[in-house]
Amino acid sequence: MSPADPDLDADAIESLFARGVTDGLPVVPPTRRLVDRAIAASGRDTGELIALVPPNYGRATVEKIAINAVMAGCRPEYLPVVIAAVDAMCDEAFDLHGVSATTNAPAPLVIVNGPIRAELEINSGAGVFGPGWRANATIGRAVRLVCVNLGGARPGDVSMSTLAHPGRYAYCIGEHEEESPWESLAVEHGFAPSDSTVALLAADAPLGVYAQRSRTPDDLMPTIAGSMAVISHHRMTHWGDTLLVLSPEHAKILGDAGWKKADVRRWLHERLQWPVRELVPGRDGGEGLPEHVLAKYRDPDRETTRIPKFRAPEHIKVLVAGGTAGRFSAIVPGWTFSKGSNLVFRRIHR
Amino acid sequence: MTEYLDPTDSVAVPRKTASRPPSLDGKIITLLDISKAQGNHLLDRIEELLRERAKPKAIVRKKNPTYARPAPDTLRKEIVGATDVLVEGLAD
Repeated sequence: MSPADPDLDADAIESLFARGVTDGLPVVPPTRRLVDRAIAASGRDTGELIALVPPNYGRATVEKIAINAVMAGCRPEYLPVVIAAVDAMCDEAFDLHGVSATTNAPAPLVIVNGPIRAELEINSGAGVFGPGWRANATIGRAVRLVCVNLGGARPGDVSMSTLAHPGRYAYCIGEHEEESPWESLAVEHGFAPSDSTVALLAADAPLGVYAQRSRTPDDLMPTIAGSMAVISHHRMTHWGDTLLVLSPEHAKILGDAGWKKADVRRWLHERLQWPVRELVPGRDGGEGLPEHVLAKYRDPDRETTRIPKFRAPEHIKVLVAGGTAGRFSAIVPGWTFSKGSNLVFRRIHR
Repeated sequence: MTEYLDPTDSVAVPRKTASRPPSLDGKIITLLDISKAQGNHLLDRIEELLRERAKPKAIVRKKNPTYARPAPDTLRKEIVGATDVLVEGLAD
């Protein structure tokens, strides 16, 4: 083994930045040795094709994913999570083409369930969306680098997001299953508690819901609903998969009162509906129902049919995450235009 | 010297844009609406101008069911087999 040479590393970092293969932050230079170590830890064949990455449809082989994971700073044992995440986001149901190219701001959010959270120290507790945890930071970052280097999602080139959001650097959380009164997001979607999984959501930035005085579901739920109402804008309807991240304290309020996840979904779906006459563009803002929906009604200005924010209760995905102190939850809006992107799961193979 | 591996897919070949016809006279022109709000207004105006300034054989209007996804294969094949020129409004 040759002695470390910090100058050589610095040169490599500069040359990788100059090639446009980074996210703007310094990357770990991907040497053969580091990449081979990651591939070995995955137990997969170097050349195995996992997916074609839209919109440029670059070939995401195990080796190419490993190179990007090394650059992101992943430890070798993280690679199975990154592979599963890449596989999920390239599923047609995720619509990565739209997610990467749109002028909106979605970023692939990686949600990890199962025993692998503890094994890899994936944070699901305090500061779950924030910095300080290598697994969350580098797995999320690896997914972004794959989008750029294999999908071609370079900002201002193919990726035309007007604003984007900081989750496009890294966006990866664990579910705090141990603090949840309910089955986990993965179990709810058909996996066993012993399975380790990723779920990918094309997600906007988290919107905090501060409900510190709430002690009962009657206190809490209207506050959450009020925050959900403004997803995209306050007159947006027909929305799809979206995440409600309940803090342990908020989840406990609901669980202690006997609420199930299905009750939360149904309540929010019922509450978040408005008559057509309140959704006509030009009333309370220029946004509202699209022309083809308005065309269904003879006199939209008087129409009382109620239109829901979400197409169905099932689109409201509920999980528990965050620290055990604090009555703060978050809404993470999905990207669901024209039924665009859906939550997609993959089992993590080890 | 240390070898650094390529994180991109070097096999992927950048696509070239189609060659431009010297004139639109006698051509079949397809205008593809990707379903963005009010995109039809833009394409209506382009159709008007094309009829005014060129002598196309025909102007055909097609519509992608959603702007959030690429055009379905059936629609692409339909267009490729039956047009000389395609104008697509990409977004915003």
